[in-house]
Amino acid sequence: MLYDIKLLMHYDYALPVGGGRHHLRVLPLNLDGAQRVVASSLSVSPSPAERSDFTDFFGNAVTAVAFRDAHDSFETRMTARVSVSRPEPDFDVSPPLTVLGGELARTWSLDRASPHHFTASSDHASLATDITAYARESLAPARSVAALAMDLCLRIHRDFDYDGDATTVATTAGEAFSLKRGVCQDFSHVMIAGLRGLGVPAAYVSGFLRTIPPPGKPRLEGADAMHAWVRVWCGREAGWQEFDPTNGMRAGSDHITVGHGRDYSDVAPIVGVLKITGAQAGDQSVDVVALE
Amino acid sequence: MPAKREAGRLLDSYRPLRGVFDEMVDEQGRPRASWRRFIAALDALGPDELKRRFARADQYLRDAGVYYRLYDKDGAKEREWPLAYVPMLVDEDEWATISAGLIQRAELFEAIAADIYGDNRLVAQGLLPPSLVASSPEYLRPVAGAVPAGGHFLHFCAFELGRGPDGGWWVLGDRMQAPSGAGFALENRVATTRALSDIYAETHVHRVAGFFRGFRDTLVGMAGGQSGAVAILTPGPLNDTYFEHAYIARYLGFMLLEGEDLTVANGQVMVRTVAGLKPVSVLWRRLDAAFADPLEFRPESRIGTPGLAEAVRRGSVSVVNALGVGILETRAFLAFLPRIARALRGEDLALPGIATWWCGQEAERRHVLEHLDRMVVGPALSTGLSFEDDGSSILGAGLGPQERRALAGRIDADGGGFVGQEAVTLSTTPVFIDGRLEARPASLRIYLARTAGGWTVMPGGFARVGASADPTAIAMQRGGRAADVWVVSAKPVPRDTLMQDGAENLRRSPPGTLPSRAAENLVWLGRYIERAEDAVRILRAYHVRLAESSDPDMPLLAEVRRYMKPFGIDIESAIPDGLAGSLDSAAYSANQIRDRFSPDGWLALRDLSNTVHRFARNVTAGDDATRAMTVLLRKLAGFSGLLQENMYRSTGWRFLEIGRRLERGIQIARSLAWLTGRKMPEGALDMMLEIGDSVLTHRRQYAVGSGRLSLIDLLALEPLNPRSVLFQLARLKEEIAHLPHAAENGQLSAAGKEILRLHTGLAIKEAKDLGPDALNRLANEIGDLYTAVARSYFA
Repeated sequence: MLYDIKLLMHYDYALPVGGGRHHLRVLPLNLDGAQRVVASSLSVSPSPAERSDFTDFFGNAVTAVAFRDAHDSFETRMTARVSVSRPEPDFDVSPPLTVLGGELARTWSLDRASPHHFTASSDHASLATDITAYARESLAPARSVAALAMDLCLRIHRDFDYDGDATTVATTAGEAFSLKRGVCQDFSHVMIAGLRGLGVPAAYVSGFLRTIPPPGKPRLEGADAMHAWVRVWCGREAGWQEFDPTNGMRAGSDHITVGHGRDYSDVAPIVGVLKITGAQAGDQSVDVVALE
Repeated sequence: MPAKREAGRLLDSYRPLRGVFDEMVDEQGRPRASWRRFIAALDALGPDELKRRFARADQYLRDAGVYYRLYDKDGAKEREWPLAYVPMLVDEDEWATISAGLIQRAELFEAIAADIYGDNRLVAQGLLPPSLVASSPEYLRPVAGAVPAGGHFLHFCAFELGRGPDGGWWVLGDRMQAPSGAGFALENRVATTRALSDIYAETHVHRVAGFFRGFRDTLVGMAGGQSGAVAILTPGPLNDTYFEHAYIARYLGFMLLEGEDLTVANGQVMVRTVAGLKPVSVLWRRLDAAFADPLEFRPESRIGTPGLAEAVRRGSVSVVNALGVGILETRAFLAFLPRIARALRGEDLALPGIATWWCGQEAERRHVLEHLDRMVVGPALSTGLSFEDDGSSILGAGLGPQERRALAGRIDADGGGFVGQEAVTLSTTPVFIDGRLEARPASLRIYLARTAGGWTVMPGGFARVGASADPTAIAMQRGGRAADVWVVSAKPVPRDTLMQDGAENLRRSPPGTLPSRAAENLVWLGRYIERAEDAVRILRAYHVRLAESSDPDMPLLAEVRRYMKPFGIDIESAIPDGLAGSLDSAAYSANQIRDRFSPDGWLALRDLSNTVHRFARNVTAGDDATRAMTVLLRKLAGFSGLLQENMYRSTGWRFLEIGRRLERGIQIARSLAWLTGRKMPEGALDMMLEIGDSVLTHRRQYAVGSGRLSLIDLLALEPLNPRSVLFQLARLKEEIAHLPHAAENGQLSAAGKEILRLHTGLAIKEAKDLGPDALNRLANEIGDLYTAVARSYFA
């Protein structure tokens, strides 16, 4: 699939802010065999005093901007043309959970895709006995890790209500789990915490979803803002596989990847440190048009 | 001869513990060779003289304001430094062996840091489990791959050592994140030698100053020879060892900065000073790396500098030690060090670490579970020392059967989360209690610094001495004392101080840069002190009158109470809270800039604050309060005298002076407006003279009694009266003219213009022009001058 993606993020400050430094993680990634960026651009307004680009530990493209003069709004626009062809896995080669631990222990690597980065508690996805117990219900004798992940993904889709007002960007997996509601970020955090609690490495993916579904298909949840889903390490042979608990499906060619991380805080579209005294308000709009 | 009679006494009553190595005496109770001369000298002094001398050491520490901050359920408290008066002596040959072992260890950790933040061969070769790195909160991914600007990750390390029953030394813990205590070691040395100066001189003790000089020179060398580009980065006055940060900064002559003093511009770290942004190229950090940059590490950090990680990646700043090395303190790493040493360096560890088993491995987990009685079990990823952590370490021997099963269950469920460490028995060293020496377990903290010539070891350090006789390391958690460590030689050792003779460089170094935050604190220190003085003068005038008339309803007294209320001074209590508040605020401001404050100045300020709180408990209105105010005034005058006579006229002094003059100008103008008002009760003018400390001058200058106009003339317009408003404005004009960028290309700064306008405006006035409204306006305009100064220098 070929997509034209537009993202607009806009912030208004009630009182002018004196300066600030931000990291933006909004540019889609090049992923071997799954995703190719044909063209992309990112503009920031007002014009920053400094701007630089770098690749972070997990391979995400980061744009760093700094302002020195007072300003009362901040806007960033990203446009990209991206081609996505995420192959559907033909058959499940992932091992059962009882075997996965041994495969993990034999993985002597710390590179960015190493499953070891994605096993421990993280800020938004702390291991918790209640979430682990919930995830454990997806265990079945001889069931593969990929099947376990798919089952958990479907259960979260079934058991949780999509509710844009229930949570915020700061909500943790534990809070969302008690509420049984939230948005893509929350569902992903719950799934990640559950899998890690069982010993399955799980990562957070941020990205976009096509806005208008193909003819005859329903419109997916989360298409009007940046989306999030889950990457699961399914053993040495099957590797990383992606699941979207918000829509109860595997991530396919409707999913456009921007970043990988341990949870939201590694891939937040914007993080910043500002000298701010008044309130701020922000909004985000996303448009993903399929060209073919 | 009395010395003869006393000899042996201290030893006779000394009882080492059975089965434990004692530092001072051998198994037969005879003093070891390195202690013989020392203990004989102590004996010669006798217990009473020793008590007197050790009291002298305590007095020194109190005078120097040495404290540490203790956190408990009641919040944070400043505690006196718990000096154990008897030093621990170590023979220089044994020290040389320890030093060689620690240098090997420092080099090994340097190689491990370079590998973890480099190409991860240790993991690839199976020498270090990847989960111990990847799951560690101290593994800082934003600096993975970054090569330190100076080429090294480690520059300053500390190691905690203990001696086992067989007499061999063990490394109990490695400190590389931001090792503390080197400054306390220096203070221990000074305090101990105050008490034992003669014995110190005869005992051939190696000096420690050279170690600090070497490290200072190294840091300055890393900054290209510019000492102004080196700074110590502190988490701030709330940190438990802030005193030490300020002390080291003062001792070595480096700036002491907090995260908010720094900003990053185009990848370069800059310090905000009163003269604009100045580059910093070496940061000796005393804050944990995870708090150093809220943008890339912990976002909730309020003590970091956004952009610091980026500056590190660009190699524009050397951070000492490098961000991320905290992971080297991971307890589970100790289990893998022996193999890593053989693989990386082809040699065994010269000094063994405490035996450690990581329960993430099957055989090791079984070993720990089977030998729980001999183990301390704790969190694998903890970076705390097992004997000083928050209670998460468990002594296996102390568990009942049920707790034991519960622990075994937890270890089985999450082996990777636990390590077992051999429960260590420490050696004992003597402490002086109630006139006798008693054996107490001790561990040793030793410091290493990297210099151009390689690692150097401080010949000293400090020993932590347990509060009870329990020799298990885990018993060291609370209530212990700190002893100086003397490395002793059989022969005389060279004398040494931080100032080196011979190679003296007479070129004056340029005045150091003054961080904006420090300048702001200095202004406020000046203002609070002056505000307190003004309140004390008014209160004294009040209580004198109250004592004379004993009628609190006298109109003038009622008027004073009404006037003071809005300033937070409630005269119903003899020592109002607002007064103590001003002095506390002054001490608080001074504490923010401890590195710029002489111990004498600090002591004077603490004394003021302590005195006012003591008075608040027992002083009564009238006569008693009058005397109390007189005492406070005398102490305030003492402090002002210190500032005037002993403080170098640096830019910092000018800001302090500006604060004092501003506040005095405001207070005098305001009091004049009040007490020269039309409807004031009788005696108001006399009281004003008293508050303005100008009774005698007035009598001399104006032969008649105090009239309204003569009073205004003397206290507002007289240029030679150091209490007049005009005098304050003249001083402000002079100091502001000396500030950085005061006049550029013939253009005065905003503050310069404002003070010129104010000063000239007042100088051409006459007493009759200055009614209450004009005086109040004047007070407000002086207040606005602060805003102009703040905008120019603190923004």
